[in-house]
Amino acid sequence: MMLPEDSHLSDQELIFTADGELDPRRKAHVRSHLAACWQCRTRLRNMENAIADFVQLHSAGLNRQLPPVSPARAMLKAQLAHVRPQSSSLLWNLRAQPAFALPLVAAALVVSVYLWSRPTTGSIPLRQLTPGAVRSVAKSDVCTAGQNRAFVVPVALQRRVFEEYGIRDVPPNAYEVDYLITPELGGSSDIRNLWPEPYSSTVWNAHVKDELEDRLHRMVCDGQIDLATAQHEIATDWIGAYKKYFNSSRPREN
Amino acid sequence: MSEPESVARWELTASASSERAPAPTAGEELVIQLFDELRNPLLRYLLAFGIPAHDGEEVIQEVFLALFQHLERGKSRRNLRGWVFRVAHNLGLKRRLANRREAFGAGSQGVFAATWPDPGENPEEQLLSRNRQKRLQAVLRALPEQDQWCLALRAEGLRYREIAEVLDISLASISTSLGRSLARLSRADGDDRGY
Repeated sequence: MMLPEDSHLSDQELIFTADGELDPRRKAHVRSHLAACWQCRTRLRNMENAIADFVQLHSAGLNRQLPPVSPARAMLKAQLAHVRPQSSSLLWNLRAQPAFALPLVAAALVVSVYLWSRPTTGSIPLRQLTPGAVRSVAKSDVCTAGQNRAFVVPVALQRRVFEEYGIRDVPPNAYEVDYLITPELGGSSDIRNLWPEPYSSTVWNAHVKDELEDRLHRMVCDGQIDLATAQHEIATDWIGAYKKYFNSSRPREN
Repeated sequence: MSEPESVARWELTASASSERAPAPTAGEELVIQLFDELRNPLLRYLLAFGIPAHDGEEVIQEVFLALFQHLERGKSRRNLRGWVFRVAHNLGLKRRLANRREAFGAGSQGVFAATWPDPGENPEEQLLSRNRQKRLQAVLRALPEQDQWCLALRAEGLRYREIAEVLDISLASISTSLGRSLARLSRADGDDRGY
């Protein structure tokens, strides 16, 4: 089937023709060749038949293995709500719809009492489960290349973290599976560096810690403190570090 | 407060609050829209890798969470379909490697390994003769893995530029790969059709 390139179209030209990817300058030449050449027309037809058979084989076989999309979609929406930046929309809704305010406040109270009553899910991780773990990185790594990475904790790993802390039926918006030492300061994705941090039910929540992480990262990159110190302070007592570096006994108001 | 009571009350409050959850942000809506469009093609692609469906679903969740963060950080929105496939491809490779490590003694498999059902199990597949399917599968499995990826991505509707971006190879390599694969497939197909 292989033909000399100077007399017939190449396989590459035929696949470009079949896929509509042909360079416009070559299109006219290919068309006129195909109009005159039975062999190349046959090769093109064979190639198109092969594509059709391949696609049918590919789709028919795999489509039957696809689970329904709706549970996966619902899971993604819950995950997105979980990682969503906090906004003032909840407070706005409470003001706009006072009928909902009382049950919501009651629900929030129950959630707060629940969270405060569980030492394993508070603002400070259990040292024996989450002592912190770091990658082997230098200051130059965390201050340049690491900035552009998306640090997402894999779903399977999140599940393991919740299991480890004995948390079941995790609702959206309640926790962030957070890095104790943030990857932007060289923290690793090891489970020993991850814990379920409540988002909003305590004073010292995930958003406050995010603020500290940003501050420490800037300080490391500006040379005000060294990387190892930042890692140690955030791993041993992040609330103490916040108070120290923000010179405040309470989280600042945004 | 005993543990079972705490959990039960927690579930009630969680469902009450989720009914009044804030509306999705524009970024979330875009991510969900892309998920609706690309979830099946992505899962087919991952299944073709030999990744089980439940693992594929997890990979896809990770992909779209990463996409959300990508958008939230104000990164480029150019060719998000290619971006999504590229991240899925890389995470899929990692997942497959991890699965192989777990399955002690499992040999190396190609992209199209053991994922297609026995041909002729339903009327649609009977449109292709059993012999032709087997011959095509044999040809596919004998292809270099990169050629198999190119074919699977092209079957999911990606253009050459997008495939080049997903696999991080040149456009010329894509066309060579697809040309080589389809020439082999068409020869096998043509033989069966009696050309």
